[in-house]
Amino acid sequence: MSVRSSATASVRRVATLAAATARPTTERDRERRRIAIMCLPFFALATVAGFVPLAMLVRISLAEETVWIEGWSLEAWRTLATTAEYRWVAWNTLWFVGLATLVSVALGVAVSHVLEKYELPFERAVVAAVSFPIALPGIIVAYLIIVLLGRQGLVTNAIAVATGQSALDLASATAITGLFLGYVYSLLPRATMVLRGTYAEVNVQAEEAARALGASRWQTFYHVTFPEIRPGIVAAAILTFRSGLAIFGTVLILQSHRVLTLQIHDEISVGSYDPDIAAAIGLVYVAFIVAVTFVGLRFIENEAVEI
Amino acid sequence: MSEVVLESLTKAYGDEVAVDGVELTIHDGEILGVVGPSGCGKTTTLRTIAGFETPTQGRVLFDGVDVTHVPPEERHVGLVFQSYALFDTMSVRANVAFGLKMQGVSTAERRKRADELLALLDIADLADRRPTTLSGGQQQRVGLARALAIEPHVLLLDEPMTGLDAKLKTRLRDEIGNLLADLGVTALYVTHDQEEAMAMCDRIAVLDDGTVEQVGTPAEIYRRPANAFVANFVGSSTLLEGVAENGHVDLGFTELPVAAETDGSIRVAARPAAFELGEGQIEADVTNVTYLGDRTQLTATLPDDTTVTLHADGSDSYRVGDSIPLSIDADRVHVLESD
Repeated sequence: MSVRSSATASVRRVATLAAATARPTTERDRERRRIAIMCLPFFALATVAGFVPLAMLVRISLAEETVWIEGWSLEAWRTLATTAEYRWVAWNTLWFVGLATLVSVALGVAVSHVLEKYELPFERAVVAAVSFPIALPGIIVAYLIIVLLGRQGLVTNAIAVATGQSALDLASATAITGLFLGYVYSLLPRATMVLRGTYAEVNVQAEEAARALGASRWQTFYHVTFPEIRPGIVAAAILTFRSGLAIFGTVLILQSHRVLTLQIHDEISVGSYDPDIAAAIGLVYVAFIVAVTFVGLRFIENEAVEI
Repeated sequence: MSEVVLESLTKAYGDEVAVDGVELTIHDGEILGVVGPSGCGKTTTLRTIAGFETPTQGRVLFDGVDVTHVPPEERHVGLVFQSYALFDTMSVRANVAFGLKMQGVSTAERRKRADELLALLDIADLADRRPTTLSGGQQQRVGLARALAIEPHVLLLDEPMTGLDAKLKTRLRDEIGNLLADLGVTALYVTHDQEEAMAMCDRIAVLDDGTVEQVGTPAEIYRRPANAFVANFVGSSTLLEGVAENGHVDLGFTELPVAAETDGSIRVAARPAAFELGEGQIEADVTNVTYLGDRTQLTATLPDDTTVTLHADGSDSYRVGDSIPLSIDADRVHVLESD
């Protein structure tokens, strides 16, 4: 069969499928139509809000003239690859968000364990307290950190009174620790949300069997619970890490650590206007996120634990 | 193996009393069945022995040692669940060796002992498989091997056969019963299936509403039920109202030479086998016929309007509306002590 006749046959098959989907006669056709109806709005939105802007970013990053987006140049990518400051920002972002993810997921495991395993008084209030930061804008989180750890902050002044030290010396809202606290506070609800769902699926009787066989609570968690919740931990880590990379409002206000989002902001700000570099950073960011997601999902597969 | 004693065991959840003053002894090497309807407290009793529930009152003793407040991991009990509760992320061998690992047994030794148990339960060829790839019967064998591996003081089985198909259940029941008897395991066998309990257990405790209604051998429970609840729960019984007088019981439509402790109004329990069909002075009207292959189960009305369950041979000649003659074998009815 020639290439041309093969292509014609493929087009014909697609046309037949489209016609059957539009005017279904079998249950399979109707199912296909339902899938199409439910997914089309998403793909339309993804095209307009995602794929087209991404293509624009590619074009901007390769433009010689960035105001009218004309000509072609690899200069932005060359600058990104050879400038030490950008590598430093990337490393800053990775270790800081990585550490915040680690702490948030660890705290999320503890909170989910308590929420799912034990009957708590005021459980709804606890759930609300844990989950509400998810709805807070980063700017508000930054403000909360200032109210707590700033020069007039509650905690700062409480420690100052208790230790006799100066509140000015103790203020840590705009130190990296204050920013870290803000990150963890924002990320914890995301980790908990995923982990609670995973915990609800844990085989409680297998845990009881382990304890009857002589395992302490910690050994039971390590040998039985942890392997069961590991896919949830990976999923929570992916979600949390991605969300952490995207935090902007908090870091914009507190400014104590230079991360990727702040760098992009600076690249497109008046005074240092480099939209091609900002576009290149954005593309690296997207590629990195996609890669992290795929690599992370490979770890979700369970592995046998041998004797 | 140990003797397990429950002393006045009571477990309440707020106002809800799940177990109410249960007194039970599981003798060394004995399989004690605990039967009763849903919510009667049998699983709570088992969980209290395992240490997952702390009794509101009473004590749990292993060989005379009070373990009431000892945590589960220090009680040395084997647990077998209806849902198998195997460790899905481990191989079958690792499942069986898990308890030994927790005891600090060397890798070589626990591997050897796990393989011995798997061979004993006839599943040696499954050692390297994951539990999720096994059938229900195979998974339950793994669960049993895992529980036996630690040579527990007592083996606690919570509805282990529920969920298996009838043929497999019967085969596994016989195999497990023989294995536990051979090993001399002290076991508590919780089930709602009285036939299973009768087949497997040395003695049976019948629970209702958190209290023990009767403890005895399967034959004692079946032939001499302590009260109407036991008579109805274990097997099917017809309760007949009568008046006892001078070594006889007058049922109104017939008289039986049955001795009661006291004269006056009494109730007697009659199993289907107590009714002899085909001859006798009593006329019963058939209201339902169920053909079961090896026998035919009839529901009929006695002259005093009592509904009775009868077993006939596997004949399909009975019809609804038939009037059949029958007699009652006085040796097979039992005067109930109380309600």
